Amino acid sequence: MKTARILVVDDEEHIRLLFKEELEDEGYAVDLASNGLEALEKLKQATYSVVVLDIKMPGMDGIQTLGEIKKINKDQPVILCSAYGEFKQDFASWVSDGYIVKSADTGELKEMVKRVSGA
Amino acid sequence: MDPVNILGKVIEISHSNLEIASRIEAILNILGHDMRMEEAVLYTLDKDKRLSCRFMNRTSRLFEILSGYRSHVGEGVVGTVAQKRVPQYFTHRDVPPRFGCLFYAHLDGATDRYRSFSFLPLSDDSFVYGVLLLCSSSNETIVDSDKIVLSIISRELGGILRTYDLLVSSKKRISELATLSELGRVLTSATEPHFLLQNIASITAKSFNAAFITIKLAHSFVRLDFQRFTSGEIDAAMEGPLRDLESEALRLRRPTSLADHALETPDGPRLALYCTPILSKDRVLGTITFCRKIEHQISMEEDDQYLVSAVANYISSGLETSFLNTKLRDVLKELGDAQKRVIEHEKLRSLGEMTANIAHEIRNPLVIIGGFTKRLAKQVQLDEKDNRYIEIIVGEVSRLEAILNEILDYVKDTPLILEPCILNSLLDEILYLLASDKSWERVRILKEYQPDLPSIICDVHQIKQVFINIILNAFQAMEAGGKLTLRTEVIQYQNASCVAVSVADTGGGIDPSLLDNIFNPFFTTKEKGSGLGLAISNKIVMHHNGHVEVRNRAGEGAVFAVYLPINNKTLSREG
Repeated sequence: MKTARILVVDDEEHIRLLFKEELEDEGYAVDLASNGLEALEKLKQATYSVVVLDIKMPGMDGIQTLGEIKKINKDQPVILCSAYGEFKQDFASWVSDGYIVKSADTGELKEMVKRVSGA
Repeated sequence: MDPVNILGKVIEISHSNLEIASRIEAILNILGHDMRMEEAVLYTLDKDKRLSCRFMNRTSRLFEILSGYRSHVGEGVVGTVAQKRVPQYFTHRDVPPRFGCLFYAHLDGATDRYRSFSFLPLSDDSFVYGVLLLCSSSNETIVDSDKIVLSIISRELGGILRTYDLLVSSKKRISELATLSELGRVLTSATEPHFLLQNIASITAKSFNAAFITIKLAHSFVRLDFQRFTSGEIDAAMEGPLRDLESEALRLRRPTSLADHALETPDGPRLALYCTPILSKDRVLGTITFCRKIEHQISMEEDDQYLVSAVANYISSGLETSFLNTKLRDVLKELGDAQKRVIEHEKLRSLGEMTANIAHEIRNPLVIIGGFTKRLAKQVQLDEKDNRYIEIIVGEVSRLEAILNEILDYVKDTPLILEPCILNSLLDEILYLLASDKSWERVRILKEYQPDLPSIICDVHQIKQVFINIILNAFQAMEAGGKLTLRTEVIQYQNASCVAVSVADTGGGIDPSLLDNIFNPFFTTKEKGSGLGLAISNKIVMHHNGHVEVRNRAGEGAVFAVYLPINNKTLSREG
């Protein structure tokens, strides 16, 4: 079975590390980007089943990055991920495919990635 | 004695600083001693225009007999002299028996020792003040020169009586002024209307020496529906006549009295009632009624009636002012409340921004700590004790995350998802949910729902959260058990039809010093409370253009009332 590729975008190094390891445990191949621009670079070089995108980032934030990603490929699956719960109801209008609130319990993240990637 | 000397003494006394009564008695004694008039008795006019003996000289014996009766002007010799203002002189031979009055029965024989009887009017040019009676056992006739002296002396006595009258009436005026000024003071002090009326009743009762004074409101006023304010006690026998008189005064819009048909109580004193309507510009506010014991005079004097209507005017203006004040105070309170709400909003906004940032900053490290700990726990073989430590770390991380969620819940401005909702059913649903727990057996639930309660437009999920919060608080306040009362009704609140839901507990109430803080975020009295429950509830209700109110029933419990507008125009436009 072809391994699904996931791109995790977060400005916090340790969050990136945690998500990477947790998702790798689930059998995904995980690439990392620490900001929006880096993420766009990665997306030009490779194809990802899902992008897990932090919202609050310095420079280009998650919502802007999401817009850019969809400009390049409007079918690119993206999961928004934030420490804020209050945007949860708005994610649909940002045409993302899911929204999770960051938690030490990564169960929800894994579920969402599985659903959106279809793998 | 030389008449000039006598007149000199009389005039000296009459212009002295002696008290009125002493002056009169001194002059009567001079008449007795220096003019050898053994009887010198002075009649004065009472308020009801009847003559009675008031003063006598030292040697008078008749005074005792004469003072037992009062005579009308024109009646007997004394009355005739008062009426005609002309002196009359008699000898023992031609004096009318009993001085022309049938009722002086005891006088028979008592006048035998006297040879002359003189009756002199005490008057000035315009008015008669009394009559002087002189009897002498030595002179049979009064010579003309003595008559002149007597007429001068009686003029002096008349002058003294006139001064006395003036003094009495000015004393009365002063006491009236004192009463009115005291009333003025009461009216200008910013007291509640009901204190005001009670004070007026007691001040006037004292001033009028009334058996009772009662003020009855005929109008339904703010917090003073048809109340009665009484100083003194209303005799049970008086209640009926009092009520009749009050409605008569209200109907006629003028003073009425029951004085002419004075009421007789079996053993008690005779009482008279006088009732005046309290008129305002365009309405009758009520009545004030005086009850007095009847002594000599039958009807209330005109002066007093004037004072009563002055008092009624005072009450009228006092009440109007007081109502205006109350209205003003209500408006001010409303304004204050509105301002408080604005401040609350501001506080929430800035707090919201701050908390969201803090929560975000904390959330990331927390996720990292918790996430990696869990990974460790999975990958490393640990003994039981270490596992326990790991569990503690993971547990505490989840707790912190839960707190953050709660804070962010409070902070976020979730758009309302609006739909119609009947609060009676919503409350039932919540009760079903909560009260199925065994711990609820200690609480008795009372539902006072208004049937056919209109539905309101609201975010049902959020409103449900509000009532769960408030009901749980009430439940938690009654650890030893108690009564939970849920009441729904339609009321007017701030000019809008609202559904009011009140939740009353019997948990002893809230410390009054804390009342102001209970809606503040993070304020709690519970050991494990976050202090956000009520703050969130309040915010939700505010978003619905509603209002949460707390009332403390001292020693009993607290009442939380939630007002939600029925026709929520702002909401329906947004939704």
